[in-house]
Amino acid sequence: MSVTYIDAIREAQETLLREDPRVFLYGQDIAAFGGAFKATKGLAELYPDRVLDAPISEDAMAGMAIGAALQGMRPIIEMQFADFSSIAFNQIVNHAATHFYRTGMPVPITVRLPSGGTAGSGPFHSQSMEAIYAHYPGVVVVTPATVADAYSMLIDSVKLDDPVIFCEHKFLYRWLKAKSFQGDGLPIGKARITRTGRHATVVTYSAMVHEAVRAAERLQKESGWEIEVVDLRSVKPLDIDTVLASVARTGRLLALGEAFPWGGVTAEVVSRVVADGFHLLEAPPMRLNSRDTPVPYHPKLWAAHRPTPESICDSLRKLLSY
Amino acid sequence: MPQLGESIAEATVVRLMVGVGSPVITDQEVMEVETNKATMGVTALCSGVLDELRAEEGVSYAVGTILGILEVTEEEVVRTGVDTIESLEKKRQQEVTDEQNVKGEQNLHFAVDGDGYEEAAPPEIVPSVRGLSVPTGTMGAHYISPRMRARMDEMGLREADLSAIVGTGAGGRVTVDDLERFLDYIQTWPSSNASPMRLAVADAMRRSWTRPLATVGTSVGLDKLLAHRRIQTKKAGPTLYLLRAFALAIKEQPEVAGFLIGAKVVHPRSFDIGVAVAVEDGVLVPVIRQVDQKSLVDLVQEYDDLVDRSRRRRLTEADTKGGIATVTNFGTFGLTWGTPIPLPNETLILGIGAGVKKPVWSETLSAFVPATEADLEMTFDHRVVDGGGAGLLLRRIVALLQEPETL
Repeated sequence: MSVTYIDAIREAQETLLREDPRVFLYGQDIAAFGGAFKATKGLAELYPDRVLDAPISEDAMAGMAIGAALQGMRPIIEMQFADFSSIAFNQIVNHAATHFYRTGMPVPITVRLPSGGTAGSGPFHSQSMEAIYAHYPGVVVVTPATVADAYSMLIDSVKLDDPVIFCEHKFLYRWLKAKSFQGDGLPIGKARITRTGRHATVVTYSAMVHEAVRAAERLQKESGWEIEVVDLRSVKPLDIDTVLASVARTGRLLALGEAFPWGGVTAEVVSRVVADGFHLLEAPPMRLNSRDTPVPYHPKLWAAHRPTPESICDSLRKLLSY
Repeated sequence: MPQLGESIAEATVVRLMVGVGSPVITDQEVMEVETNKATMGVTALCSGVLDELRAEEGVSYAVGTILGILEVTEEEVVRTGVDTIESLEKKRQQEVTDEQNVKGEQNLHFAVDGDGYEEAAPPEIVPSVRGLSVPTGTMGAHYISPRMRARMDEMGLREADLSAIVGTGAGGRVTVDDLERFLDYIQTWPSSNASPMRLAVADAMRRSWTRPLATVGTSVGLDKLLAHRRIQTKKAGPTLYLLRAFALAIKEQPEVAGFLIGAKVVHPRSFDIGVAVAVEDGVLVPVIRQVDQKSLVDLVQEYDDLVDRSRRRRLTEADTKGGIATVTNFGTFGLTWGTPIPLPNETLILGIGAGVKKPVWSETLSAFVPATEADLEMTFDHRVVDGGGAGLLLRRIVALLQEPETL
């Protein structure tokens, strides 16, 4: 019997509702309908007064959650798609993110962002927003790549007093399976070495961890290269120590992400490695992101837009031949 | 085209040695090919008759290209296990099937909505140095990565220490792996620790060698000098005559001893000239101050004192600072000529070889007469002086040595 990534998110929310009376869920169609992706399926029946449907206003959802958090609650709000959270941007980055700094009162809200691309989802239902939120002081941004992380990091997110942006990858929802929700219990802020290697380091997060591992396996089979894959797990805080330690072993860095190429998490990783680990580098660090266009609808265009095992292998071959 | 070496991707056919219809035997050389590393023969894989020749002279073929087809008996195929046209076709089809199987497995990932897409076939790996550009167009250890630089600093290594390493990186650059392999390799050789003196000389020479140094030479008659020396009570060695002549010649055109820094030529402040003194496991260069203002007799004692203190390693830092040029007498080693290297902070060095008795043609006597001559060489920084300027200086020194009484 295996469990999926979306099962982990549902299970974590059920655990939280059961164990902490301050927790409530708020989102569009999450109660009777069980959510657009069924991440809250059946929870409204168990906790009818704490799983609440919201009006079609992300702004209002976030604002209400902030108010509730200030009154001692631990709200989890579900944005139907990460892309739509832009409507709640002001509430999140101007109010929630700055509130503790301004008043000394924390705002423990958790914002779930169904993120990233799946085939045929197009420009409004595929975007990765982690870098935008990570830019702001005062928020924590997590990007789980495994079933166990999806479970434990959602529970940890709600326990944190800071506002947390929980970026869950839609592609992993039903594709990623595991034996159980139990993992190694790494805390938020710690990266994980997903695959060890000595020739190059791929630093990535979320669904791209799996693409990187597939590329690494292919290169291993093809030419014996051993590629280390680092899963950041949370992009803010960014565990640069684990990244630097890996680059110290391999001397070569590929920062990989599904988000747009301008700026972002991969640029941040490269910039920090160059600043703090210049002497570790055997080759110029590389970045691989999606293309600098809106996310295309057609599956073939989408496959050409996002990094794939093929394009990751290409980048790694270049990096390794330097 | 067989795999001719680890990093060989293609080779050019230089000469075909058999024609269609010729019988060939196993291991017979059938053509000569040239790679970027060497010229070598390609041999037949089995015995047979050449049925088709696909290779042409002067054309490059990638490793794995079919160069020709032999008509071979079944027994020979079994005996040698060579590929036949049919077995190659079978292999190719198998590869296509494998690839499709791999693709099928890859697509699992996208089967979520039942609308998979076909991934492009993985591109072939082209052995090439293209990719991330190496910031140099030249081969060898010229580009040093930050990691390599850090490792070198840790080991106390300099670029010159990498000269023995053949680089395997892009553009032939030396990678950290190349360095580590080399360090492992030299572990197997006997070694000893270099003395501090050796390291000091090595450092000075390495720094000096970063400049375009050139050497010019001529011979100089020593008879007048030796005659002058014979009648002195306090005798100066030939090195001191040379020292004086060098200082006076430079003083007449001090710009030749200038030191180029960026767009500026720094001129001599005082005509202080160093003298190379061989010591145990190295060489020291004490400097004699204001050589232009001292007589030969004055110089003798100062020189003897500096040489003595050099050999006893009793020179102070001040004794070796501020020279503008150096004189070295390798004649004392029995050598007749050399190409001395100036100190890194100097532009000129003047060397003299051992005096040798030679027959020299005399126009007045219409006969060969014996004369003592030595070779004089001067090395200079070609950025500062050219051959003409250096030659002028050298000829002036020769002329001054012909008038030893003026020195």
